[in-house]
Amino acid sequence: MTRLVHLHLASRRVPAALAALAGCAIVLWAALHRHWDAYGALQLPLLFETACASVVAIATASPFGDPERVTGHRLPWLRMATAVTLTIAAAAVLAATGIGTDLAGGTTTAVRNLAGLTGLGLLCAALLGGALAWIAPVAYALLGVYALYTQWHGPALTSPCIWPGRPGDDLGGALCSGIVLCAGLVAIAIRGARDTPPPAG
Amino acid sequence: MNIDITDVTRRFGRTRAVAGVTMSAGPGVLGLLGPNGAGKTSLLRMLATVIPPTSGRIRLLERDPGVAAQRRAIRRRLGYVPQHLGYYPSFTVVEFVEYFALLKEVPAAQVPRAVATAVERVGLGDKARARMRTLSGGMLRRAGIAQAIVNDPELLLLDEPTAGLDPEQRVAFRGLLRDLGQTATVVVSTHLVEDVGAACAQVALMDGGRIVFHGTPQELTARGEGRTAAGDAPLERGYSTVLAEARS
Repeated sequence: MTRLVHLHLASRRVPAALAALAGCAIVLWAALHRHWDAYGALQLPLLFETACASVVAIATASPFGDPERVTGHRLPWLRMATAVTLTIAAAAVLAATGIGTDLAGGTTTAVRNLAGLTGLGLLCAALLGGALAWIAPVAYALLGVYALYTQWHGPALTSPCIWPGRPGDDLGGALCSGIVLCAGLVAIAIRGARDTPPPAG
Repeated sequence: MNIDITDVTRRFGRTRAVAGVTMSAGPGVLGLLGPNGAGKTSLLRMLATVIPPTSGRIRLLERDPGVAAQRRAIRRRLGYVPQHLGYYPSFTVVEFVEYFALLKEVPAAQVPRAVATAVERVGLGDKARARMRTLSGGMLRRAGIAQAIVNDPELLLLDEPTAGLDPEQRVAFRGLLRDLGQTATVVVSTHLVEDVGAACAQVALMDGGRIVFHGTPQELTARGEGRTAAGDAPLERGYSTVLAEARS
């Protein structure tokens, strides 16, 4: 089983994904040491949370296509384990950026936003494929940036469904984010990322 | 019968790719011939349990692929090579085949031997440690076949397996097909009529989503005798004759 997990993680380019997550965290950590106005300080972490979520979602792409889909029952568990492992890694590196810096909203907010964005990315991967999995997190992040902007220029967007605009200790936002993550994990485990259609001819 | 399908159809939107196919097959090599767009790939994908039929009944290896538990049992005994093989470029040939062996639940203790046997059978023994990205098109096809046979399948589905193989490799591949057909049901989709004549005991000819001929290569050849249909070889003339009759 260990060998199978190793080969599966390699085929999903998980080492490269981990390096990308670490890169995101280092850049965010360095950026947080600079001086930002209120907008920038609030919105900057969301951009990096989006980048991390996109990395997790893109790593769901399978290079093997149909032959892999028609193998045994181990594949859904491998997909789930890969997504969970990368999400935990992303949460860990984002939490680490809060050490010695002023991460807006704190670690709780960062992890909540990451969870929901990752869920959106996984759903997008199941629907559109791994290569296009970044579309949903990026689109949602734009909405989130706007929600943060409306905290100064009302009327403020306060729906729990737009969790980046909610405080870190808000239960409604956390629930919405968690539900989306669970939906994404289930979708990616059962269906996997949609395969890119083969070239015509 | 390892394949038993009744009045199977498959639609993609408004397009009916497979339009009421009834067919059965036991052990042996079945060649699936037909022009582009005839429905061969859609039929193979249904047989591979990749996609379900829109209507009709499919039974594979005496099981119903529409039932999850039975589908899993079918998949453990199935090998499938699609028209366009996907692979991870940094895997070696052995890692590629080993990954599929483990996914197909080959017992861990048997995996090294099963992988080595599959790689040798397709003639890639000397490339076992080569990265997939360094292989030629023909070698990639053979690696794809190796992953399909690593679990010693009872049902083997090959979509255009000889594309990219040189004449020598094709001759060797036909021998492998005949060998595999001794115990398994092998369905080979191909455009190459000569492959069917040399390696297949049965041939099914598809056109417009339907099977318009099912018989032996000799019977297909006989259909073209005394006709002026296009073709350089007797089997090609039989192929052209049956297609012309089906379309008239």
